[in-house]
Amino acid sequence: MKPKYIIAGVVVVIFLVFGAFSLKKSLTPYVNFAQAQKGGTVQIIGKLVSGTDFYDAETQKLAFTLTDEQSQHQMKILYNGVKPGNFEQATEIVAIGQYKEGTFEADQLLVKRPSKYQGLEQPS
Amino acid sequence: MWWKILLFLGMSLIIILTFAWPPPQEKLGDVSRIFFFHVPVAWVSVLAFLVAMINSVRYLKTKNLRFDTDSAIASKLGLLFTFLATVTGSVFAKAAWGSYWNWDPRETSLFILLLIYGAYLALRSAIPEETKRAALSSVYSILAFVTVPFLVFVVPRVFKSLHPTDSIVDKSLKVQMSGQVSALFFPSLIAFTVIFFWMYHLHRKVEARVSQKEARFVR
Repeated sequence: MKPKYIIAGVVVVIFLVFGAFSLKKSLTPYVNFAQAQKGGTVQIIGKLVSGTDFYDAETQKLAFTLTDEQSQHQMKILYNGVKPGNFEQATEIVAIGQYKEGTFEADQLLVKRPSKYQGLEQPS
Repeated sequence: MWWKILLFLGMSLIIILTFAWPPPQEKLGDVSRIFFFHVPVAWVSVLAFLVAMINSVRYLKTKNLRFDTDSAIASKLGLLFTFLATVTGSVFAKAAWGSYWNWDPRETSLFILLLIYGAYLALRSAIPEETKRAALSSVYSILAFVTVPFLVFVVPRVFKSLHPTDSIVDKSLKVQMSGQVSALFFPSLIAFTVIFFWMYHLHRKVEARVSQKEARFVR
């Protein structure tokens, strides 16, 4: 391979890596919990702290605590609506809403469930 | 001819079996069946962009315009399949998570991919002169493909995402699907790949006829 192609290739790769790093923030809509507390409508993602979820079926209020695995921050979430199916088994939960006075009030919850596609033949 | 019949029968069987045969995924339910269409279609788009890149390299080496035409055809098909992957993904997102689109990293990266190859088509239509167009689109196509592995394979593993991560293989690349699911998934993958190459072949034939007619016209 001609040296000028190799140099060009290296330059391209450097720019790509640089581009990837600067793009990192905009590639994800999820903000960390500290950022969420600053206000505005945001999306946060985390794991459910087991045992912290309370659901009142009559008033349709769901309260639970989410934890950010990396920073170990916790956030109390309040959601008005029907409890999503398989909520307790969710591997990740996304809450879209606003932080108000100590609680994150979620307008929408997106739940990521375990996704190994093994059907019913194998026990999970 | 026989392989076309085989493809028709095979694809029909796959479509029917997708709904009738494997039980639905435990937690996601019947919507998980989209897996048998969504993943092959996404895979084919990567394959199409790879074919486009290879043709671009061949053009730059030989300056034979046929390779540039082939590259454009492959890129257009790749764009079509990427669009299909995005739509099927969005349908799945609504059913599984409750939202058609929330700019999840997986969704955003696929959207960027659409933009990159959409720009490729815009680039081509902006340059009327053949050799210049071929040279520029070839370079663009090669650079564009460098982003593909990053956008398709790296992004969902680096960023937290709602997208299923361990349905096909786990971190050690060991297949995670059960017998029935595998038995339907791999044939579906093959069938869609065959469909792609058939479409590619047909487009090339058409382009060859068109350029034949044009050559006669010019003379």
